[in-house]
Amino acid sequence: MNVKSLVKRNYKKQPEIDFPDYKSSIFRAPKNKKISIPSNNSEIFGPIFNQKIIGKLDNDLTLNSSKNKMSPIGHKIIVYGTVIDQFSNPIKGALIEIWQANAAGKYLHQDDINPAPIDPNFSGCGRSLTSSDGSYEFLTIQPGPYPYPNRGIEWRPMHIHFSIFGKSFGQRLITQMYFEGDPLINLCPMVNSIADERAKKSLVGKLDTSRSKSPNILAYKFDIVLRGVKQTYFENRHEGL
Amino acid sequence: MKNYNKILDETPFQTAGPFLHIGCMPNKIKINNLYKNDLGEVPFKNKNEIEMITIEGSVFDGNGITLDDVMLETWQCDENSQFFEDNGFARFIPDKLTKKFKLFTVKPGQVKNLDSKNQSPHICLSISSRGLNMTLNTRIYFEGDDLINDPILSMIKNNKGNIDSLVAKKIKKNVYAFDVFLQGDKETVFFDI
Ligand SMILES: [Fe+3]
Repeated sequence: MNVKSLVKRNYKKQPEIDFPDYKSSIFRAPKNKKISIPSNNSEIFGPIFNQKIIGKLDNDLTLNSSKNKMSPIGHKIIVYGTVIDQFSNPIKGALIEIWQANAAGKYLHQDDINPAPIDPNFSGCGRSLTSSDGSYEFLTIQPGPYPYPNRGIEWRPMHIHFSIFGKSFGQRLITQMYFEGDPLINLCPMVNSIADERAKKSLVGKLDTSRSKSPNILAYKFDIVLRGVKQTYFENRHEGL
Repeated sequence: MKNYNKILDETPFQTAGPFLHIGCMPNKIKINNLYKNDLGEVPFKNKNEIEMITIEGSVFDGNGITLDDVMLETWQCDENSQFFEDNGFARFIPDKLTKKFKLFTVKPGQVKNLDSKNQSPHICLSISSRGLNMTLNTRIYFEGDDLINDPILSMIKNNKGNIDSLVAKKIKKNVYAFDVFLQGDKETVFFDI
C-alpha cells in the first residue's frame, strides 16, 4: 500500500505570523501555537482546475482589460518561471492567480485609498495553468510601489501577488513576488517578517534580459516551490498478525 | 524508489493583502469583463438542493470586530466520502453589510485516514487576509456527529486545544453556525497541516 504524506513545513523559512512591525497583524495573528496534524486524504487531495476555465487573454494583463485595444500605461514586462515541488518534480496544471497595482501603484479596488490614478485599460488581474514542465508566463505592466498606512505611511516595494494551487490542498500557497534591485524590499515589514535571508531572497524575481523577443519588454524570472508529497510503501498488515 | 534526501525549501508565504479580490474573485468587486465565474462559487454542481446544508458565521479579530476583507476557502469530500477533482472546493468572503459568510454545500461523509481509521465528517477551511503573513488552516466538524473517536480531534484534545472552536453548531434543520476567532479567549485552533 502506498501512503502519501506532505513534507512537514519548515517554519524557520516562513514569515513570523505574529509580527507587530506589520501593524495589521497585531489583532489578526493567532497567539496560540499551531497544532501539528498528520496529513491525510483531506489535505493530500485538492481541487484540480481545467484548462477550459482559462480564457485566451487571462495571462495577458496588458490586453485582458484594455478598451479598444488601448495599452495600459507603464513598462510591459514578462513574468515567468516554473512551479515545482520540494523534490524538484514539475507540477503540471498548477493554477496561478495574480493581482497587482498599476504603473502608478493604484489597485482597481474600492478599498484602495492611495490617491493615484486608475488606469482604465488595466485591472491587474490574471491567471494561468502551468504546462507539463511546470512553466508559466504572464505579460503585464511593471507595478508601481505604493504608500500605505502602517507605522505612519510606509511604502510597499513593487510586487505582484501570487496565489497557487498545486495538486494537494496542503500545497496551497499565497505569496508575493518582488523585483530585483528594488531598494524598498529591505525596508518592508512584510518581507522582513521572514527571518531567513535565503527564503527572503527567493521571493525576488530575477531580471532576465535574454527572455524577451522584444527590446521594449523586460523579463523577470520567478520560480515557485510547493510542498513535496512523499510516497511511502507499507506492507499491508492484517489484524492479528 | 524516489530519492527523498534532497529537499528544496518551500517558497515562503506573504500576506494576501486587502485587495485579494482582484485576483481571486474579480466578479465580486465588479471586474466583470474577465472571468465568466469566480472560482469556487459553488462547491458542488448538480446536487439536490434539499440535501444541502448551510454553514454561516463570521471571522472575528482580536478586538472582537467582524472582518469583511478575509477570504475563506473550503475543501471537502461529498456525502459518500468521495473526493473529486472538480468538485468540493469553495471560495467566499463575508457579506459587506452583515459581515457573515455563508457556505451552501453538502454535508461530507467520513474521511478515511491514511492508516485507514475513519475521521468524522469535516470540511477543511483556510483563511487568508490582510494582516495574516500566512494562510491559516483549520477544520469544520459538525455538532451531533461522533466527535470522541476522531483521531485529529483526540490529538487536539491531548494538546489542550479548544475543540469546541472546530465544531459547527446546529441552529436548525440543515443550518449550522461556525464562527472563526483569530485571537482571544475563544481563539480557533489552527493547524500545521
Ligand atoms: Fe499589494
